[in-house]
Amino acid sequence: MNVKFLNPFVEAASEVLQAECGVQVSRGNLTLHKSALTTDDVTVLISLVGQVQGVVLYGLSEKTGLALVSRVMGQEFPEFDSLAQSGVAELGNVISGQATIRLSKAGYSANISPPTLIHGRGVTISTLDFARVVVPLTTELGEVSVHLALREAPPGSAPSTFVPVMVPDSAKK
Amino acid sequence: MNVKFLNPFVEAAYQVLQAEARLTISRGELSLDKEPYATDDITIIISLVGQVMGNVIYSLNNQTAIALASRMMEEDLKSLSALAQSSIAELANVITGRASVLLSQAGYQSIISPPTFLMGKGAIISTLDFARLIVPLNCEIGSITIHLALREGSQRVITQGNTVVVNRFTI
Repeated sequence: MNVKFLNPFVEAASEVLQAECGVQVSRGNLTLHKSALTTDDVTVLISLVGQVQGVVLYGLSEKTGLALVSRVMGQEFPEFDSLAQSGVAELGNVISGQATIRLSKAGYSANISPPTLIHGRGVTISTLDFARVVVPLTTELGEVSVHLALREAPPGSAPSTFVPVMVPDSAKK
Repeated sequence: MNVKFLNPFVEAAYQVLQAEARLTISRGELSLDKEPYATDDITIIISLVGQVMGNVIYSLNNQTAIALASRMMEEDLKSLSALAQSSIAELANVITGRASVLLSQAGYQSIISPPTFLMGKGAIISTLDFARLIVPLNCEIGSITIHLALREGSQRVITQGNTVVVNRFTI
C-alpha cells in the first residue's frame, strides 16, 4: 500500500463531510493492518480499478451513520432503513469519487465501482494480500474509519486510457 | 439486471470449477431479489466496472468452502486457513475474470476489481438500487450461490493495440 494514495481520500472525506453534513473532520493516527478487519455496524465497500486498484472500506457505527444521513437529508432518521442505507452508501461513493479525481490529478487514473453496503457487526472482511491503511476520521457526530487496501496496478495490467468519468468543470481547476 | 449477463457467469463457473476442483455443477432455479441479502458463512465480493457495472457476490457455507479448498489444494483441510481463504477468493476471481472475457466477447467490456473476502453469517449486504439475480449452483460438495447485481454501464474500456486488458484473467 502506497501512502501517497492516502491524502486524496482524507482530503476528499473532509471536504465531502463538511459540505454535505456540515461537520469538521480531524484525522487520527494511521495504522497499518495485515489481518482481516472486523466490521463495525455499517461498512460501505467500494472497489477501485485502473492505475490504482483495490478496495476502500468506510466503517462506522449505526448511530454515526444515522446522524450523518440526518444531516445530509435534513430530517431525523430514527432507524437505519433503506433510505438511510442509501444515504450512507452515497456518502462513501461521493468521497471515493472525489478522491479518484485527486488521484487522477496526481497521475493515477482509476474508476470506482458502485457501492456495496454491509450491515452487521462482527463480520470479518479480508482484503487478502492487500494490507490496509486505517485512517480514523473523528467528527462531532462520531467516528468514520477509512480503510484503504490499495496498490498501484502492475505495469501493463491496467488500461492506459479509460474514457474518463465526467469531471465537473469546477474540479478541473 | 440484464439476464444476458447471466450465462457468461454460469458458463465461467462451470468451466472453472470443472478445471480447478473437478466438480460438475448444475444450475438451480433463478430468482430476482431486491431485498438486501443476509450472508452465509463465506462471501466474496468482486466489482465490475466498464460497459457492465455492479457487484458480483459469491456465497457458500463453511463446509462447502473447506471441501472446495481441499479439492483445489489437493489436501484434506480441517478448517479454513488463510491460504484456503485466499484460494476460495482466487476461485471467485478466476470465475469472474473468465466471465468478463465472455462478456467482452459479447460486446460488453469491463474490468474486475480484486476480491474482498467476508467471513461471518447473518450480516446484511445491500447492493442498493441494483436488484440481484440469484443463481444457485449445485454440485456434490454443496451449493455455491452467485448473486449478480449488474447493469449496463456507460464507461467504455479502451484497449490499446492488441492489448486486451481482461486477457490476463484467461485460464
